[in-house]
Amino acid sequence: MADKSSDLVQGTLDMLILKTLALEAMHGYGVAVRIEQVSKGVFRVNAGSLFVAFQRLQRGGLIRSEWRATENNRRAKYYSLTEQGRKKLSSETREWERQVAAIARILEAS
Amino acid sequence: MSLLRSIAGGLRSLFRKEQVSKELDEELSGFLEMATEEKMKRGMSREDALRVVRLERGSLEVSKEVVRSASWESFVETLWQDLRFAARMLRKSPGFTTVAVLTLALGIGVNTAMFSVVEGVLLAPLPYSHPDRLVVVWENNLHFKQVVWPSYPNFKDWERSVRSFQRMAAVKWRYYDLTSPGSPEHLLGAGISSGFLDTLDVKLPFGRDFSAQEDQRGGAPVAIISNDLWRNRFAGTPQALGKAVTLNGVDYAIIGILPPRFHFGDERVDVYTPLAQGDPLLLDPRGAPAIVSIARLNLGVSVVQAQAEMSAIQDHLVQLYPDANKGLGASVVPLRQVLIGDVSGTLLVLLGAVGLVLLIACANVAHLLLARSAGRTREFAIRAALGASRSRTVRQLLTESTLLSLGGAALGLTIANWGVHPVLAAVPGNLPRSESVGVNTSVLLFTLFVSIGVAVLFGLAPALKNSKTDLQSTLKEAGRGTTTARHRVQNSLVILQMALTLMLLVGAGLLFRTIQRMSNTNPGFDTQHVITFKVGFSPSVTKTASGMRTAYRQLLERLRTLPGVQAADFTYIVPLKSRDNVAAFWIGSQMPAVVRAAPRMMVFDTGPDYLRAMSIPLLRGRFFTEDDTTKSPCVAAIDDVLASTYFRGQDPLGQTITFGWTPPWGPCRIVGVVGHVRHWGLGNESSYTQAQGYYPLYQIPDQWVTASEGFPATTVIVRTPLPAAAVIPAIKNVLYGIAKDQPIYNVESMQEIASESMSAQRFPMILLGVFAALALLLASVGIYGVISYSVTQRVHEIGIRMALGAEKQNILGMVIAQGLRLALAGLVIGVGAALVLTRLLVTFANLLYGVKASDPLTFIAVSTLLTAIAVLACYIPARRASRVDPMVALRYE
Repeated sequence: MADKSSDLVQGTLDMLILKTLALEAMHGYGVAVRIEQVSKGVFRVNAGSLFVAFQRLQRGGLIRSEWRATENNRRAKYYSLTEQGRKKLSSETREWERQVAAIARILEAS
Repeated sequence: MSLLRSIAGGLRSLFRKEQVSKELDEELSGFLEMATEEKMKRGMSREDALRVVRLERGSLEVSKEVVRSASWESFVETLWQDLRFAARMLRKSPGFTTVAVLTLALGIGVNTAMFSVVEGVLLAPLPYSHPDRLVVVWENNLHFKQVVWPSYPNFKDWERSVRSFQRMAAVKWRYYDLTSPGSPEHLLGAGISSGFLDTLDVKLPFGRDFSAQEDQRGGAPVAIISNDLWRNRFAGTPQALGKAVTLNGVDYAIIGILPPRFHFGDERVDVYTPLAQGDPLLLDPRGAPAIVSIARLNLGVSVVQAQAEMSAIQDHLVQLYPDANKGLGASVVPLRQVLIGDVSGTLLVLLGAVGLVLLIACANVAHLLLARSAGRTREFAIRAALGASRSRTVRQLLTESTLLSLGGAALGLTIANWGVHPVLAAVPGNLPRSESVGVNTSVLLFTLFVSIGVAVLFGLAPALKNSKTDLQSTLKEAGRGTTTARHRVQNSLVILQMALTLMLLVGAGLLFRTIQRMSNTNPGFDTQHVITFKVGFSPSVTKTASGMRTAYRQLLERLRTLPGVQAADFTYIVPLKSRDNVAAFWIGSQMPAVVRAAPRMMVFDTGPDYLRAMSIPLLRGRFFTEDDTTKSPCVAAIDDVLASTYFRGQDPLGQTITFGWTPPWGPCRIVGVVGHVRHWGLGNESSYTQAQGYYPLYQIPDQWVTASEGFPATTVIVRTPLPAAAVIPAIKNVLYGIAKDQPIYNVESMQEIASESMSAQRFPMILLGVFAALALLLASVGIYGVISYSVTQRVHEIGIRMALGAEKQNILGMVIAQGLRLALAGLVIGVGAALVLTRLLVTFANLLYGVKASDPLTFIAVSTLLTAIAVLACYIPARRASRVDPMVALRYE
């Protein structure tokens, strides 16, 4: 699975999940597909790390979950952002942008 | 917040495991199903889709495991599984479990008990608020480099000028005969200055502290009493306040009751009176040691800073009063250090000793585990084959050993809790603060910590060994396992046990020899057939000096007529008891310029019959007679140490000697030379004052006779071949025949006193002896177990040897030699270590007397004993080996 997808920078999976869920509540597969589509296949998420992240975020109070029916009438757990998760996302995003800008400046300087 | 949620989530999955697992299962399979459907939509066959999804997204089982093990509760879950498995395994071999738990209980039990003593005596804070700020201020004789009790006038000057202390106070112990309310009783009391309770920050439950007006000469007679006395004599009612206690014939009004369990110093004190109302003879001279001074440091002031200030103040006092103070410094010492004294070395040595016992016990349990694991090799090989990692197996085994160790700890704790107080009570002597010994939180934590440490210690070696099994060969060999490596570990354990046991035996042996030496030491008097006791004379006869002299003589005359009494007289101090009476002295009448630098002697104020009562030899001249009184010229006797040290070559008889503080006594004519007496203890030759002098009791000046430190402080010495129990009733009759209110107390035979004086050595000797015996037992079980196990393993080999013609004797010798090799290796290492460690007994705990730390006799005796025990322990399995039937042995394989 590593041939065409890159490994995620440590800790960024959480941010990506939060960002994805910020639009609407989604089930696990939906989140995985969305991350892959939007990243144009750069990131590929396997089930293990995705659900570990869900567990961690839920215990941290950043997302909540409920069982719902999918469009194909399958039962799936839908995750959505909590208020706390929304705040976390915006602060993480700001921090990320700051860092990226800084790294970019360093790279351009040489 | 998120921690709470994490715990809640974890607990949910722990307790609703089924549901959580089902949900995860459903969610994950849903995920993978959706991915598969997506692939199938793109035209893959279901089979291909499933394979690709498994590759891309991971398989269901692996993902589940990944999610589950990422959370903390999975650790708990595994632990729980391991524990249940361990408990099952231990239940399956009850014999092994019982022996291991008992061994550990023994080891952990003695450690817990010993630690609870160390904790109570050395570590627990003193029972006062902010005890780290409490100090004792001594005077410091710069000439002899020794701290002494300060004089009261110096204390008053310190108290006035010092800034480092929040509060400063003085205390002086006093003896009281209480005659009302209730029956007469002799009590220990204390004179305390008005700031004493405040300094210790003691709050009285009833009543109040002494006022500054009461703490003055001629102040109203008031007393504060202990909680015990209040309960015993006043039924514990608040109405006791304002009532009177009669002490030495004077009524004291009770103004305060102390809280329960309040105490200061080692002895139980029942009444407190204002210090300044005490005897002016003792309090007024600036040159006389009189009181113990304590102080509470101001917040933020260190002992060093206080010391600097006190030294400056004392320097000033030396300039103001050179006669009394020249050569005296001041010394500030933390109260804790003073109260604990010098037992810390002994206790730490003993704690080290029980640590060794625990190590030996651990080695035994490790033997058991190793032997047992031989039968479990296949189990571990199968585990490994199924994918258990090495660390996982080690964790499983350590869980087992921890469970064993905790079982041992629980049992050991019970033993310690139940046993420590009887043991302390049985130990004669002088352990300070033993009342605060008990099983408390810190002891529990210690035990928990030790048992986990122990579990790792005895569990790790077998666990590592087991987890390293070579899969293929083990499974093929059907259970024979890697025996040689296991033997190496067991052999080193046996050697270690032997070495540790030898060290303990040597320690106990050296102390035993010390006690033996001390008991055989000639104390300078005959300890046999001597009874000592004190008498509280009726207040009616103690009003005047002449009345007292008459009463004391009258008592002696009657005592001497009793059948069986060969001699009887009074003495102010008794040899081998901790009380002393050291005074500066000089030959002739010319007082030296600096009295503090003058040589010291021990002054015995005694009656004429004392020498006969004690059987102290008279070497030259005469001892006192009934005619040496206040009306005749002052006489004195000296011992041969004083005579030979200070009268080199001259005849001391006829010369004069002067002694004391201010004002001195004498000059007195030396009329006799007597034998030296070991006053400080049987094993104490070098330290302190050795020169001794005698002063006639009936030449003591009037004002001293009636002082509480004078005649009332004396002890009666009676020489009689009869046992104390037979003589004391007759003596009581004599006393009550003279007056009804005369208690007799502190009855002791001289043998008891001599034996008590050795308690500093006997207490550690008994304990070290017990520990060494335990160690010997454990170690012999250890070597027996290992040799016997190895015989079982070698049956096949022994069978072949016998089939090839080996005699029974050869086999017997071979097995014993195998054990003996281990024992001897242990002995060599043990002797080396003991030579180093026994020095601690000397330098650290100062326990040995008359025996060198490397005493060859002890080392030889102990090594022989240990070798004999080892041979004995090996003999049983060796005999079994020599009876192997080669036919059976060979067919068996």
